Amino acid sequence: MIIRAALCPCPPILAREVTGRDPVVSGMREACAEVTARLVEVGPDVIIVVGPAAETAGWDSASRLDLSAIAPALGGSGTPGLPLSLGLGVLLLDQAGYSGPRVLQAVGEHEPAPRCTELGDKLSASAARAALLVMGDGSARRSPAAPGHLDERAAPFDAQVERAIRDGDLAALIAVDAALARDLMATGRPAWQVLAGAMGTGQPITEVLYADDPFGVAYLVAGFEVAPNGAGQAGAS
Amino acid sequence: MDDRAIGGPGSLGPLDSLGPPGAKREPGLLRFGRHEFPPGRLLVMAIVNRTPDSFYRPGLTWDETAAMERVHTVVAEGADIVDIGGVPAKPGAEVTLDEEIGRTVPFVEAVREAYPNLVISVDTWRNEVGRAACIAGADLLNDTWSGWDPKLAEVAAECGVGLVCSHTGGQHPRTRVFRRVYADVMADVLNRTLTLAQRAVQAGVDPSRILIDPAHDFGKNTWHSLEISRRLADMTATGWPVLVSVSNKDFVGETLGAGVEDRLAGTLAVTSVAAWLGARVFRAHHVVQTRQALDMVAAVKGDFQPARVLKGLV
Repeated sequence: MIIRAALCPCPPILAREVTGRDPVVSGMREACAEVTARLVEVGPDVIIVVGPAAETAGWDSASRLDLSAIAPALGGSGTPGLPLSLGLGVLLLDQAGYSGPRVLQAVGEHEPAPRCTELGDKLSASAARAALLVMGDGSARRSPAAPGHLDERAAPFDAQVERAIRDGDLAALIAVDAALARDLMATGRPAWQVLAGAMGTGQPITEVLYADDPFGVAYLVAGFEVAPNGAGQAGAS
Repeated sequence: MDDRAIGGPGSLGPLDSLGPPGAKREPGLLRFGRHEFPPGRLLVMAIVNRTPDSFYRPGLTWDETAAMERVHTVVAEGADIVDIGGVPAKPGAEVTLDEEIGRTVPFVEAVREAYPNLVISVDTWRNEVGRAACIAGADLLNDTWSGWDPKLAEVAAECGVGLVCSHTGGQHPRTRVFRRVYADVMADVLNRTLTLAQRAVQAGVDPSRILIDPAHDFGKNTWHSLEISRRLADMTATGWPVLVSVSNKDFVGETLGAGVEDRLAGTLAVTSVAAWLGARVFRAHHVVQTRQALDMVAAVKGDFQPARVLKGLV
């Protein structure tokens, strides 16, 4: 079962190397580092990284971010083809000094909600004490300068997702409209739903460490604690 | 005109006594004053003329206050070196030794006082000026007239400063090229600059303080200057650090049909080509634009980090 989870954004700029001399999103990186460190601290049997990609697939646990795919001049010894979301998740684990077992799971961008929650449930059941690092972003259409230009539906969409995460409202995450998410370039949708599936029926205690959209994309960093004993809500088994 | 005719191209002695001028070295640190610059670092040498009659904006910094103002500006704009000259390259009224010293040396002193760490170069061919300038605080002697005065290298050695070894095709200082021909201009440039560099080393100049300069327009027509620009890799391949001085020069003007005020784009184009081919020091009037062009080339080469990269990555 999942004993602790985290949600981090996965834009390429999360990798410090790619932004040039200006660190650009130091605050976001610090929040990601903080929330990842919490996963490591809990001493899990395994950390499962989940991230959106073109296809649902498991990746070799030794895979690393292929920086050269983003910035050829930076080179590196990454894993060709590894989805960015997983590569950045792995980067966070490495930066946190985590050297324990890891599972890298891509979830296809077109997977419907039930398939996502099912995958989450399966991942949760795969280990007695697993931590989950979920990578995913909100809409990329939040301003005229955003990658997808302005879509008026973006702000309410992201607000709803943020509320669901703040409240630990897993049902609301599962209910996120996949078609609308696609329209709004909210790539995190399948990963959120894997998260909801993995956390089971309980209502986690969440903390949002960072929520901003400096470039018109909604970034959210959050930590999820399984409700303490007595709440009777946590766990998927 | 300098009527002393101390040296000139015939005074070097036979080349074979100096070893092969083509001898290569590994590109290494460039040292000026207390500064060390690694090979990937491209340096802007800002021109500060203490003359009333240089070709580009004559008299702009003739006045000492204006000249110091220009130093403040170019330092703020990111110049790595200032090059102070008291005699224009073109023919004109004689500038005596005393006059040249009066124009440059107190100014070098003032600049040194204002900027204890700035790399100061002095553009002169006369050893007496060079010596006085070094005592006043200069770090580099820019011998644009190609060792015309052989004692200049000795001064550089004695004072522990750097030296620019240039090519003029044997032109007397302050004369214009007239129907000069070369069997192979780049071969001549290499032969002369490397010979001067070796002679400087033999005189005791620290090799890490020596630059070679093909000297565009000096003893060269526009075709020659375009040729040395095209083949600059032949110079950089020697491992000696290369300085280029192309700013607003006639070969740019003739190529583009552009007056002296309209040569910036052409200057930056040649600057970029030279940077791409491995030149390391760039003598320039326009510091900001030159710095930007060089940073851009260095980024393309992979030697310079972009300032802020977000496009397609958020």
